[in-house]
Amino acid sequence: MWKQIEDALNQSTTAFITNSVRLLPGIVAMILALLVSLVLAWIVGLVLRRLLASVRFDEWLVRWGLSPAVEWSPSRSPAALVSGLASAAVVIAGLLIGVAAFNSELTSELIRAVVAYVPNIVGAVLVLLVGTIAARFLARSVLIGAVNLNLDYARFLSAGVKVLVNVLAVAMALEHLRIAVGIVELAFGILFGGIVFSLALAVALGSKDLVTRSLERDVKKPVREPLEEPLRHL
Amino acid sequence: MEVDAVSQQAAQSVEQVGSADLLVGLLADLTKDELGCVYESLRALPGSPRVVVLQNGPAVSSPPPPTPDPWEHSSPVALLPWSPVADGAAATAIESVATAYESIFSSGTKLEVKAVCLVASKMEDPTSGWVCRLVQPLLAGDFDLVAPCYARRRFEGLLNNSIVSPLTRSLYGKRIQNPMGPDLGVSRKLFEEVLGSERDLAGGGGLRLVARLAPVACRDDFRVCQTYLGSRIYPPLDWTNASALLTEILGPVFLSVEKNAARWQQTRSSALITTLDEPAPPASQGQSQTAVDVARLINTFQLGMRDLQEIWRLVLPPATLFELQRVSPEKFRIPDELWVRIVYDFALAHRLGTINRAHLLRSLTPLYLGWAASYALETEGADSQALTRRLERLSIAYEAGKPYLISRWRWPDRFNP
Repeated sequence: MWKQIEDALNQSTTAFITNSVRLLPGIVAMILALLVSLVLAWIVGLVLRRLLASVRFDEWLVRWGLSPAVEWSPSRSPAALVSGLASAAVVIAGLLIGVAAFNSELTSELIRAVVAYVPNIVGAVLVLLVGTIAARFLARSVLIGAVNLNLDYARFLSAGVKVLVNVLAVAMALEHLRIAVGIVELAFGILFGGIVFSLALAVALGSKDLVTRSLERDVKKPVREPLEEPLRHL
Repeated sequence: MEVDAVSQQAAQSVEQVGSADLLVGLLADLTKDELGCVYESLRALPGSPRVVVLQNGPAVSSPPPPTPDPWEHSSPVALLPWSPVADGAAATAIESVATAYESIFSSGTKLEVKAVCLVASKMEDPTSGWVCRLVQPLLAGDFDLVAPCYARRRFEGLLNNSIVSPLTRSLYGKRIQNPMGPDLGVSRKLFEEVLGSERDLAGGGGLRLVARLAPVACRDDFRVCQTYLGSRIYPPLDWTNASALLTEILGPVFLSVEKNAARWQQTRSSALITTLDEPAPPASQGQSQTAVDVARLINTFQLGMRDLQEIWRLVLPPATLFELQRVSPEKFRIPDELWVRIVYDFALAHRLGTINRAHLLRSLTPLYLGWAASYALETEGADSQALTRRLERLSIAYEAGKPYLISRWRWPDRFNP
């Protein structure tokens, strides 16, 4: 009986060692791939950072009205953000290549699933980024325009536009990620419609007196020519 | 810019003439009598130079019928109908004016004229021969830029009086009352220089050519003078949207400040320029007697103070914002020194691209209207001479504030009071 136990243990140990040894090349390959990708990531990051600095990427972003990208970037430099993202992508790619070196069916499946999902993540991030920047830009445009039109609720309008665009961007990003698509569509419809309705209601209620006065004036008083603008600017 | 790109009709009109000594572009919508006055005064020019007058008319889609030789009656003045802007080519009044300027300069190059005269206004006295006053210094006096001086009225030319003119004086050292015209006499040497630099520079908005005339003339030591033209009648253009106007006018002005930074940093003081003819008698206040709704202007300023802080914080230093907050609505005044610093800070932010340039210029509107309100309250009942003294004080404040601009321009991050 002891003999049988001893044989079984020997076989298990042999199997364990054999399997471990079989894994060793894969581990070495993964470490190597990781090391190479780290070096590559550093080089890519460095080159990209210098390239973007030479074309004054940060200044251009601000000129294009994308100053929020500056505010949200590490060290207030979108160039650093872009080069960091590129480096991270290279490291992740190296990691995936390293994992693939194990050549097992499970890892292949896992990698295939991850790789297939990557475009969704990238798309969602891009949608969020563009949406946020567009929201800031549009909100600022509405704010300035409304103040120049002497509207008392300029900030409210601006905030409304910002929320609307942000909600739209988040809904689109979630759809890209294929997270509860049906619920997101429904929730987005309700939320977006609700915001538009509440904005319309708020503006209409806010200017109720104005509309009433205007209607009364139209009915009771003769039509008066608007005053000539006496300011001549140029 | 090629003439063909602007208007087929304009190009054909110009090609029929061949060459001339002087090109006069009539952008203003003159009546038959006013046109006759201009025509006669040009005919009476000494030396009988060959003058081509491009008269603004409605655009036509089909090519004009062939016209006989414009010089056939041995008259020195050829009057050609001309439409500077093709149908639907320009969206706003300012854009169409800007396109017309560009088209006239291009036509001047094609005609190989000695000078170009741009007539964009109507005068209260059309018989005074005022167009010739813009032309003669170019032909006889060897001047390169003849700028207009109009009779001063309280609310006329506010943007010019509050920003463009004193800024030009402070930066380029020449006291030009109306650097951007709109009625101007320009030598071929100068407009070709401006057109040449235009090819190297992109952007700047519609009036960039006109905005660059005075700075280039001052920078390259062209001979500049100004002449009194009388009381101007403002065209019924829809320029009441101050926000769009600020963007159209100040965009090219600030861009010009940026391009000529090396030169204006060396200019230390301003000098009078040659001023021809006698100043017009003090003008009746005419349209300007209409009461300005100061309360509305102050209201816009206060709305800006309340809602645009997040934008102004990116442009204006804390000390300036603090001073703005201290402006009392009851005794509303924006001191000249404060206004000058605001304009300089916006010019700097335009150069640095702190925020989107259209946003930047449009966000200046409440401050500009605030200045207009302050000016309206200060100059209540003021006559022409008092207005001149008031605007002179503002110009001196611009010159006094120039070291501030230079410091901020050179060290925008370090010098931020």
